[in-house]
Amino acid sequence: MKRIAVFLATLMILALSIGIYLYENQNPIYYPKPTNPIETVEPAEQEPESFEPLTDEAISYTLQNDELNITYNGGADWINVPIDKELLFHGEYHGNGTELIEDSYILTENIAAFIYGEETNQEYVEKVLLKYSYDRGETWQDGVIAEALSGVRFRKVDFLNESFGYVVLSGGRTMSQEFSIVYLTHDGGATWEATAEPPTTRLIAFGSFIDEQTGFLSYGTINPEIPDVFVTQDGGKSWKQAQFNMPPEYVRVFVQAEDPEKHEDYLTVLLNQGPNGDYEGGKVKGEFRSEDNGLTWEFFREVQPDEQG
Amino acid sequence: MNRDKILLILKWLLFLFAIGLFFVQMGYLLLQDRLQMEYVDNRLFYILNILIVVCLYVAIIMLFSFKRNFHIIGASLVSLFIILNVFLLTESNKEIKNIVSISPNLTHVFSIKEDQQLDEALYYRSYYRIVSRPKERLPSPITGDYDVRWLTNDVAVFTYETTGDKKQAFIGTYGDRNEGVAYYYVGAEIQGVWENEDVSVVSSPDEIQVIENGNTTVYDWDQIHQFGTLAIVLEKEQEADWVIALGKDFKLRSVETGNSPAGSIILYKVGIENKEVDTLNYKSLQ
Repeated sequence: MKRIAVFLATLMILALSIGIYLYENQNPIYYPKPTNPIETVEPAEQEPESFEPLTDEAISYTLQNDELNITYNGGADWINVPIDKELLFHGEYHGNGTELIEDSYILTENIAAFIYGEETNQEYVEKVLLKYSYDRGETWQDGVIAEALSGVRFRKVDFLNESFGYVVLSGGRTMSQEFSIVYLTHDGGATWEATAEPPTTRLIAFGSFIDEQTGFLSYGTINPEIPDVFVTQDGGKSWKQAQFNMPPEYVRVFVQAEDPEKHEDYLTVLLNQGPNGDYEGGKVKGEFRSEDNGLTWEFFREVQPDEQG
Repeated sequence: MNRDKILLILKWLLFLFAIGLFFVQMGYLLLQDRLQMEYVDNRLFYILNILIVVCLYVAIIMLFSFKRNFHIIGASLVSLFIILNVFLLTESNKEIKNIVSISPNLTHVFSIKEDQQLDEALYYRSYYRIVSRPKERLPSPITGDYDVRWLTNDVAVFTYETTGDKKQAFIGTYGDRNEGVAYYYVGAEIQGVWENEDVSVVSSPDEIQVIENGNTTVYDWDQIHQFGTLAIVLEKEQEADWVIALGKDFKLRSVETGNSPAGSIILYKVGIENKEVDTLNYKSLQ
């Protein structure tokens, strides 16, 4: 008994000593932005108590009270994003507005960015902008992505580093035809340039850039039969159709390409079975690899649902 | 139960107490970053360390018998640990000075941490009495004396001197008088005449007047700052002059109260040395 007690005590003192070391080297906890007393008693003071973050992560958001508020500490403190909520759902949108449109925003330690639209003088035509902050919501900037687009449907924003980012938009849909276009920024979101328009009017399903030169657009959402991917290797100046060498047994099985991933000296992409696939339950995907930066793709293996990240 | 047995139990309880505190401390270390919380007073960390080690040591040497060598080594290690913690405690308080005050009913802790290097002070909202989160930056730095005075169990007035020897008041409020129904403006809700034998307060839609010994001072709404939903500060020449807080028995105007506020308000003349607090009762609307 004596030995156990002494051993325990020694262990605890050791742990406390390590604790002191950690305590002395800890990061300071995040301080709220300066405010004067009268501002803090405005609605910001009492409403956040009732806000619930939409996800379990520390960095999250809520659309309660018809406004967009973000948090960096799991809902303890809230920062209001100065955008009208409905502007986040401009264009062709059929949801109920309780969650932001997937991929239409970025919310990380380093950047918070939201695609939104403003009405213009013309009916059905919107100006598309990005509201972003690099200092956890203390200051916000707006970058104009497109001056005039009609009926924006697909919207995606992402940044690969502090300066380079891309936005994929589609719109003007009639039946199963629409235009799609990619915009790039090289100054962290302040200014945006349209890339060349890809030579297709099918409905876009996926779009992404893996580095500043190489980007992919994947088409066919309703009843795709073969993967339809356009690739740029010159930062969006031109788009070429990518070639998929499909083994005969997978023809009309793997039909829709998702966003490619970059590996050391090759790229991979998962091809899914589209909305109507029924091969082995419909959830199995095909992994393809490319060694020429996305122009031609070879089948590599089947990926079971439980290995898909 | 004989005396020895009780003593033995007490010794073991001391040992368990040390283990309990140890887990509090470890829990704090593991969770503070995730929950973004700090102890209400940064010194608490070192005080807990010392307390744990002392309790452990005392419990162990009382529970078991040891050779003389163990006592020498044990005592010197414990002293070393204590000296280290006292040293770190004083050093840490030089960097971040803690100002802490506990409410009269022991349920709330008013906590301000002043960063000596940045020359700024942050008000911390306390949770569960021992941890806290930064809530607000004080509008101006603390340059001289200060004092914390609890007007009620949930309103603490922090009076301090700032640049130019001006006195300022910052109020920590904990809760409201309306069961969280909605935000309201204290100045508007106390509309009417409030008085006791010495002093009276008149709140009208245009201004608030404080009448003391026949002297009337008038405060426009832009000289009035609200904190939480419990208190306002009246300012004169950029200095805090009075604090008005809602009394414990204050009731918002409603049909039940005959469409006028009921209960009392508390008036406090801002001053580091001032301990006097006036309670004023509602008299009439005009």
